[in-house]
Amino acid sequence: MTQEVLALTRRWVIILFRERLNLLFSVLQPAVWLVFFAGGLSGAVVIDDYIAFALPGVIAFTVVGNSVTAAMPLLFDKETGYLDKLLSMPIRRGSILLSRFVFQVGMNSAQVIVILLIALPLGVRPATGVPGVIGILVTTALLTLAITSAALALACAAPSHGTFFAITGFATLPLLFMSNAFVPVDSMPAWMEPIARANPLTYAIEAMRLLVMEGWGGGVPVALGVLGVASGALLGVGVWQFARQTGQRVA
Amino acid sequence: MIVETEALGRTFGERTAVDALTFHIAPGEIVGLLGPNGAGKTTTIRMLATLLPASSGTARVCGHDIRDDPDAVRRSIGYVMQQVSPMGYYLLTGREKAEIEASLYHVPRRRVKERAAEVLDLVGLTEHADQLVQEYSGGMQKRLELACGLLHRPELLILDEPTLGLDVQSRHHVWEHIRTLGVAVLLATNYMDEADRLCDRLTIIDHGRTVATGTPAELKEALGVLTLDDVFLAHTGREVS
Repeated sequence: MTQEVLALTRRWVIILFRERLNLLFSVLQPAVWLVFFAGGLSGAVVIDDYIAFALPGVIAFTVVGNSVTAAMPLLFDKETGYLDKLLSMPIRRGSILLSRFVFQVGMNSAQVIVILLIALPLGVRPATGVPGVIGILVTTALLTLAITSAALALACAAPSHGTFFAITGFATLPLLFMSNAFVPVDSMPAWMEPIARANPLTYAIEAMRLLVMEGWGGGVPVALGVLGVASGALLGVGVWQFARQTGQRVA
Repeated sequence: MIVETEALGRTFGERTAVDALTFHIAPGEIVGLLGPNGAGKTTTIRMLATLLPASSGTARVCGHDIRDDPDAVRRSIGYVMQQVSPMGYYLLTGREKAEIEASLYHVPRRRVKERAAEVLDLVGLTEHADQLVQEYSGGMQKRLELACGLLHRPELLILDEPTLGLDVQSRHHVWEHIRTLGVAVLLATNYMDEADRLCDRLTIIDHGRTVATGTPAELKEALGVLTLDDVFLAHTGREVS
């Protein structure tokens, strides 16, 4: 199985580095958010260090965007017929899914490190230091698992890539606005609070915000626990939809 | 026997795509599966390649039941699909694609490079091995697919329309390679000249049923006609569906 996952991952890595412009723009995108969005808003909000406050939101937003596109290769393999070719090979079905997670977690981790480096000259240093950075990477890995699973499930269930893009285009930004990415839950209108509390993104951001602004405390494991449960549930949905699509047990 | 089907059938809702199909392929034999569009060729192939469960009957491929042991079937076959769009790997070189698929077929790690180079050489792609697939012509892409179907030395090669959309030169080039492989081949095609040149035996199906089977010569002789086109039309009708 290791050989299968490595081979499938190799395909994504080669393609990633051959699409250099694509890579450049996706690496630079969060810098624009951090400098112009968070930097621009910082004078207009009451939060003291708004860039530090918004950093976890920018990280989460980037991870969500990347993880949604993580399903695209599966979507296209399904439509071009290459998925059938893969399924005619003696490989475990799970390898196809696992290779997406391995690639995406690696890719998102690299991107998160880039974002944290960009934040340094803007004066943001995680309060928890290097162990905190590892904590942030664990958080984003869980978030990647959650969103990639949801996107893979949608890619399997959607009748065409048009439907996939319509739904993800509709859902991605609201998912962000319905979380604490740019506004603390306490200062939301009361009716919005339960929505934000039901959003797994809120817990990922909460964990990262504590690690960046305050330190290790009881809040971090609680938020990570909730995020972990949500990731597990979404992974279940992803595996179920993939098994339905391929008509096989995923083992 | 490399392939043995027993009343293999598949229905989609009310529609019967393949109806109690029985045929066999002996080791080293090239058997053609002919039929008009929608006759059930691709459905049959998808069942034998374990991509689609049979509704009735069964088949054994290299001694393994397609229902009970699909993984053993997958290890024994090379499946070259009809018109896979190369979009998913057009940024890979031919060599990279072959190496990746060799690993997926569990070729031992230290032999992956060597085996990929061997199959690329077999189809005459050595010179172009390090070019991106997006720069390949249609014929080269087909030969690459053919090469990738051979990576794990399968006992059966399943070819679905291997020369669809190719020019005359490229078709002859692909045929030459198929003829020299020495493995059993199940060849689904719409081209009668292709069937005539390559196949040891033919099975003509229509509406999911076998309507004729035999060597190309036998089939022509039985009807007293000169070409396989005439054999095909006599068995499947002349009207366009």
